[in-house]
Amino acid sequence: MGKKDANVRMSLQTLRVLEVFLENPTEKLAGADVHQRCGIASGTLYPILLRLESAGWFVSQWESIDPASVGRPRRRLYRLTSTGLRRASEVFASFNRGVLA
Amino acid sequence: MSQRNERSTQAESNGVSHWLIHHAAHRAPESLSSRLEEEWLADLGSRASALSRLRFAVGCCWATMVIVNDCPRSRVPEASPVAAARGFITLADRSFGYFSLRSGTLFLIAGLHAALFYGLITLSQTHGIVPSSILENRPLEDVPRAKVTLPQSLPKTWTITVPKPEVPVRPVLVPGDEVTAKAREELAEPYSPPPAVIPTHVVARVAGGPGAGFPDTADFYPSQSIRLEEQGVSTVRVCVDSHGRLSSDPTTVQGSGSTRLDEGALRLARAGSGHYRATTEDGQPVNSCYPVGIRFQLKK
Repeated sequence: MGKKDANVRMSLQTLRVLEVFLENPTEKLAGADVHQRCGIASGTLYPILLRLESAGWFVSQWESIDPASVGRPRRRLYRLTSTGLRRASEVFASFNRGVLA
Repeated sequence: MSQRNERSTQAESNGVSHWLIHHAAHRAPESLSSRLEEEWLADLGSRASALSRLRFAVGCCWATMVIVNDCPRSRVPEASPVAAARGFITLADRSFGYFSLRSGTLFLIAGLHAALFYGLITLSQTHGIVPSSILENRPLEDVPRAKVTLPQSLPKTWTITVPKPEVPVRPVLVPGDEVTAKAREELAEPYSPPPAVIPTHVVARVAGGPGAGFPDTADFYPSQSIRLEEQGVSTVRVCVDSHGRLSSDPTTVQGSGSTRLDEGALRLARAGSGHYRATTEDGQPVNSCYPVGIRFQLKK
């Protein structure tokens, strides 16, 4: 996929997005799910998701459903990678230590 | 009737939202355009109210601007399933550090403005951009003088009280002043500064200390310290009157390292009251405080 393990500028919104994914690291979430959980507007949310994906922290894939049978379009689902899980955990651990990453 | 109106309003807002998302997605980098449109339209379906959908669509327009800023069109490859992934690589290649593209553009614009401003100032100073007609000397036109009348209520004499300075002030000669003649007479005398006050008497002070009959240290050597072979010097501060008696309870200034020895030193200092040698000034005993070092040392 993208460049692995790249540095990502940590903003408050980025941290909130990561926090949502860290609640259940194996869960696949669409942008709408993330919005419902952390309340970040779409104008901020999708650029963050793309940045984290391009940095190798997330991977995304289309939902494996048949839109005709389900009656709705397929969604793009995001999931934490092992790199993303490690780096996000490091970032939050550094905040707990009182040191900015 | 009202339900029909609501439905038509909802349909209109849905149409606007879809149009906005379609428009936003097409402004995104080509590699991401179709993906974003499908993703956003799918996520739009999770919004319940028409207003929420509209807000989401407007947010997508803003997201496109941010994404375009992150990933310039010139660097995004052609649209294809593989190209979308390459688009992410292009994104990842960008540095998300402190010096982003936006910051660079801002600095560039600020620099251009500064250069332009500096150039204009330099040009105006070198070639004189200011029209010469402004700089011509022109005679001043006669301006009618306004007649000023003083108010009649002003007092004719004033009394100013100035406190007499402690240091003599030298008068200043001003030509044409009426006081000049008198001041000149004063100045004829040579000015001598007041003599500095120099203390002529130096007090001969002799510090006091333990005097005759002062108790022996061995009598106050704690028995437990002797068993433990504790040794050291404890410094206590004593305040002694002119008769060699303690005027206040002595205090430990610097301990020996052993609490027992320090307490023994304090007991010794208290027991020595009346046997201290008072401090003298010019031979006369005076009240004073001074440190006394008490050494506890075992004899071998």
